[in-house]
Amino acid sequence: MASPPPSPLTSPLATSAPDLPKSAPPVPILPSQLARIYSFLHPAALLSVYAARFPALVADPVSEMAQQLPILAVAHVVYAMICLPPAGSDVSLSAPTSPAATASGSATATGTATPTGNVILRPGKVGRRRTRDSAAGGASAWGAKVAPALLSLTLTTLLATPTLAILLILFGAPFTTHHVQTLLCAAHMAILSSTGLIYVHGVDGPVWKEVWGCKRPGDAVWGGALGTAVGAWLGAVPIPLDWDRPWQAYPITLLTGAYLGFVGGTMLGRSVLFGKRVRFDEGEESRNKVD
Amino acid sequence: MVPAINAGSGPERPNLHGSRNTVPTMSSRPSERNEHRKPQVPKSLAGGNAQDQYIKGLEREFKFKHLGVLGVLGWILFLHIVGIFFFTKGFLLTRMVLENKSSCEVLPFGDASSVGKKVDGCWHQKSFDKAIVIIIDALRYDFAVPFAPTAETDAAQLFHDNLPVLYETAVNSPENAFLLPFIADPPTTTLQRLKGLTTGTLPTFIDAGSNFAGTAIDEDNLVAQLRASGKNLVQLGDDTWHALFPDYFDPELTRPFDSFNVWDLHTVDNGVTGNLFPLLHPENSTKWDVIFGHYLGVDHAGHRYGPNHQAMAAKLKEMDRIIRDLIARLDDKTLLVVMGDHGMDSKGDHGGESHDEVEAALWMYSKKGIFGRTSPETAMPPMLARDRFVPQIDLVPTLSLLLGMPIPFNNLGSPIEEAFIGPNGNDWKNLMTVNRLTAAQIKRYQHEYAATRGADDDLESESMELWQAAECSWQKLSKIGRSSQANLRSVSESYKEYQRHTLQVCRGLWAKFDVPSMLQGVAVLFAGIVLLVFYARSANMGRADLTSPLLTLVGAGSAVGVAVGASLSLAGMVEMGVAAASTLMAAVGSIIGASWSIFVTSGILSVPLPRSLWGWLAVIFTVTQSIGFASNSYTIWEDEILLFFLSTFGVLAGVSSMRQKSTADRVLGVYHSILFVILGRLASFSRLCREEQMPFCRSTYYASATSSTSAPWQIAIPFLVALILPTVVRSFYAGSKSYEGAATLWIGMGFRLGLFITSVFWVLEGADDGEWLPLRKETLKSVRVFLAQLVLALAFAAGTTAFIYSKPCISINVSQGNAEPEGKGKSSAPAQPAGRTTVTILGFGNVHGTRYFLLVVNFCLGIILMQKPMGQGAIGLLLWQILSLLEILDTNALVLGNSAIGPVVLGLLGSFYYFKTGHQATLSSIQWETAFIPLSSVQYPWSPIFVILNSFGAQILTAIAVPLTVLWKRPLQLNDQSSSTSKSGNPSIKLLTDVVQAACTYILYFATINLATTMWAGHLRRHLMLFRIFSPRFMMGATVLGVVDVVLIVFSVAGVRWSTLSVGDIFGW
Repeated sequence: MASPPPSPLTSPLATSAPDLPKSAPPVPILPSQLARIYSFLHPAALLSVYAARFPALVADPVSEMAQQLPILAVAHVVYAMICLPPAGSDVSLSAPTSPAATASGSATATGTATPTGNVILRPGKVGRRRTRDSAAGGASAWGAKVAPALLSLTLTTLLATPTLAILLILFGAPFTTHHVQTLLCAAHMAILSSTGLIYVHGVDGPVWKEVWGCKRPGDAVWGGALGTAVGAWLGAVPIPLDWDRPWQAYPITLLTGAYLGFVGGTMLGRSVLFGKRVRFDEGEESRNKVD
Repeated sequence: MVPAINAGSGPERPNLHGSRNTVPTMSSRPSERNEHRKPQVPKSLAGGNAQDQYIKGLEREFKFKHLGVLGVLGWILFLHIVGIFFFTKGFLLTRMVLENKSSCEVLPFGDASSVGKKVDGCWHQKSFDKAIVIIIDALRYDFAVPFAPTAETDAAQLFHDNLPVLYETAVNSPENAFLLPFIADPPTTTLQRLKGLTTGTLPTFIDAGSNFAGTAIDEDNLVAQLRASGKNLVQLGDDTWHALFPDYFDPELTRPFDSFNVWDLHTVDNGVTGNLFPLLHPENSTKWDVIFGHYLGVDHAGHRYGPNHQAMAAKLKEMDRIIRDLIARLDDKTLLVVMGDHGMDSKGDHGGESHDEVEAALWMYSKKGIFGRTSPETAMPPMLARDRFVPQIDLVPTLSLLLGMPIPFNNLGSPIEEAFIGPNGNDWKNLMTVNRLTAAQIKRYQHEYAATRGADDDLESESMELWQAAECSWQKLSKIGRSSQANLRSVSESYKEYQRHTLQVCRGLWAKFDVPSMLQGVAVLFAGIVLLVFYARSANMGRADLTSPLLTLVGAGSAVGVAVGASLSLAGMVEMGVAAASTLMAAVGSIIGASWSIFVTSGILSVPLPRSLWGWLAVIFTVTQSIGFASNSYTIWEDEILLFFLSTFGVLAGVSSMRQKSTADRVLGVYHSILFVILGRLASFSRLCREEQMPFCRSTYYASATSSTSAPWQIAIPFLVALILPTVVRSFYAGSKSYEGAATLWIGMGFRLGLFITSVFWVLEGADDGEWLPLRKETLKSVRVFLAQLVLALAFAAGTTAFIYSKPCISINVSQGNAEPEGKGKSSAPAQPAGRTTVTILGFGNVHGTRYFLLVVNFCLGIILMQKPMGQGAIGLLLWQILSLLEILDTNALVLGNSAIGPVVLGLLGSFYYFKTGHQATLSSIQWETAFIPLSSVQYPWSPIFVILNSFGAQILTAIAVPLTVLWKRPLQLNDQSSSTSKSGNPSIKLLTDVVQAACTYILYFATINLATTMWAGHLRRHLMLFRIFSPRFMMGATVLGVVDVVLIVFSVAGVRWSTLSVGDIFGW
């Protein structure tokens, strides 16, 4: 009877993919050389800037968060535009990449693939050709990217930020005070988590249903979003401790956790956890199949 | 549900669904797919003797197994009690407080021989009329002596050499002053130290005296003695003195200052200095006899900056100046004492027992020049505190005798020789006399303590020999008459030897933890948890079938254990009483028996690891919280952490609901998840802050932070509860069309009426406080008590009767002929062929859950009555959240999944609402006054029960709701008669198994918390926050576990019997 403890969090994409034929496949980083390099550059830069500005953040969280907010937004949109396929382009992009994604997913599941190298390369060969085709009209390609970028910025500001602010308060953030802190922290978290998702998926109903159900297969975008949430959740841990350190003030630890979580989630999502899904229940797949 | 007369198996199924279609969630239930059995006929419509017999058999089986299950739970309770008892026995050291007072007229010797000699003073010639006692909080000994490097590399730190006056005077004019290291008994907190410095006795966690709740000292002490002899006492500085000695001080001259603001270095000190020096003016000298001045600046500088800081140097310099000024203005008749109550560690904090924390300084000064040294070696103050020191309690007899006071009755200290030896260092007669007085008083105390406590030879035998030896040599001396210095000295020292020995014995008795006993307790608790984990969480554990072998082995094990324990104890092989030894061995024996039964004979063991995210979540919540109790911060902020966990659960439940296939499940699940989170956050606005949470917390439970009465607007809350709560419950019933039968009467009328009467009660209470009504207080009170008793009668007498005898909350409609319109019109039965009998049952989908929930309603009413208005709102929200949780469990298919998450979240809710009903994990937050809600005087056993209902109302309510995690919307599974030959087919046994699993999981949560708090309290028994944080949390955890165990056995699991029988009566088995 003794069954080995299964990890409840992940399962290979291969087993669950057939059940969800309509779901959008995981989104890989764009195959171009620039995208590949920048996709590493961006998280690294994010963390370095955060570390460099940390003393200022501790000294005056509100003004520092407010100052960094537009920079983060721009940096993140640039990251999305360079490294990620924009919403609406997935017909041309995701179709050829999905078998590769599935292959890489199963490859990782069997434990043969090294974290990033070949996972990215293989779809790259296919994709590079495609981008060259579509890059014939360079202006229109960038045009196709600007609209989702603007959309993602708008929705992040209007929907994701208030939602996250409410969530922060529901988790115990002060209700009557610290409104600016909560809002700014929520805005930072929203940019980290939602910009990429909206840029890639737009307002695609089924995808967002998957997002709400935490059913997205692992990729850089979803990994980043989930990582942000988990990081901020863990970021609450040091707050009550009586160390009397200035950085324990709300919301600095949350923000730190969110940034670390975003970077960690992005990296894990595009490598070892690529294509894997969060699973609530051991019997979930079997039940889904029966239904 | 089923056509009765011509019950066919297949075609009637749609009809069944017809009545259920208001509960669309059912269709996704896996169990239902397998339910293609022939449904049982309602019993009332069935006939046939054989069937009756068979049904009776099933019912008997259920009743029997139910009793067995209660037995298992009782055994778990036994283990918990034994474990907690043995830990407590070793951990909570108690010392009895004797209320005897020493008096001036009665000398401690007990014989009349020495009475008669008239002295100026009480027991001994007094040396001073007046005294100024200055306490410099946290004055460490090395602050007061010159810096002496112990190694080449040592360099003077900022705190060194800033307070030279004490050392200078002691060296330059030894007859005027002496300076000694002054060793504190841990805990080195100011309150505990002041107790020691005035009573002369040792601190323990519980001084089991009459005044348990308050902090005022009711032992004999120096301050009380001074007051009793008519001295006028003045206190300046730290207000802790007023908590300990209420009304002892001159109200005109006394100036207390708040002691908790450690960031403020100067307010208290300036206040003391500013008020002290005017009193020293000659024209004021008759206004006071003794001044107690308590400076806090050094302590606060330590807390804020640490000792090695410029602020500390400045503070010590200020103290130096003040002492020099005091010396300058002192007159001959006045004794000046300067001391630290404790030291500080390298970071400037204190409370523990490290060297730096216990080594304070004591300095005495007088212009009379009566102090001396017994030998040249002791002429200089020791450079290191370890070289030569006096315990702090020595101050009590010294000061008493110098001021001509009797020595306080409980004193264990010795007179300090420098104060009595005389300026020439040879007045051994005086020193011997005071030593004899002190020793006699200690002996009197020892005798009285042994008499009060019952025979306890530990205190007596050896130290009595020392006393007798000293007395013998003293009698020899007095016979000789004049005697040599050497003889006097040896007698004096033999008395002192007796004093010190007694002190050692008492220290051993009161200040030493009994670690083996603590370990025994922890081991029993731990074993209980391991067994419970396997019993409750192992897959495929046939809990109901395991019952009888388990109980047999447990019984056999305990019987053997009792015998072994008793014989071991009688044979003298263990140092325990017969009762203790047999109890412990009974627990051990039963653990071994149960292990055998669970691990060896059952043979169906599987590793109880969680198999889903929910299971892991339950483990994470329980374990992280348990680990967190090792930290004082997480213990202090437990309420916020619980909110965090509950919100996490709610959000994950929403996510999980989004994954559900059926739209109705998804929508309902998400709705209830959002509701769950919002209700929890709403409840979190009700707070009662503990002192350690300040200043980051604002109390809202009462009208203001300093009151314990409700604000007028809060009186509206009970009315809102009465208005809304029954409607809320009704809506959850209506969701499954179960608002039928007893539910309409009980929830719609009884519950609402009870809540309304409760609201009126609190209006009257408010009217009494605010004097709004022109009625006499007595009238108001008797009306109030009557109303409260009415509500209790409604909740528990009428409620229990209703719960036991009422039918399930369903409505059965039998319609003859063809499609007649349904009587209720709510759900129309599908068209039937003419001439058939159609039975439509409303409320079928949740027949178990709604029937059992009536018990929760009863308890909710009783618990709400016992809460203050704000707490009533909280309990109302709790009931709502429980219902919401049940719907979440249902829509996420967790009711039948045996998931641990339901009971564990109930446990979290119980703990969370404990804090939301105006409680904290401190003794001071117990709302004793609630015992007088339904009674006008203390009556046993009712008053304690009411206080428990108030304190642990939330945990009790969630404990009552535990069976619902497997009963809510549980599909009615009936026995398949065709397979009746096989014994496994009794679904009520499966139900019972699930209920026990839920109950055990719930116990497991609290047992784990209890084990964690127990172990941490034991492990951190020398932590500076032990008395304030860890001990109270341990005591709370242990009490909650006991209460929860009892409630589960006596009410929850027992209640399942009645509700299941009631369902079985209608639907068969």
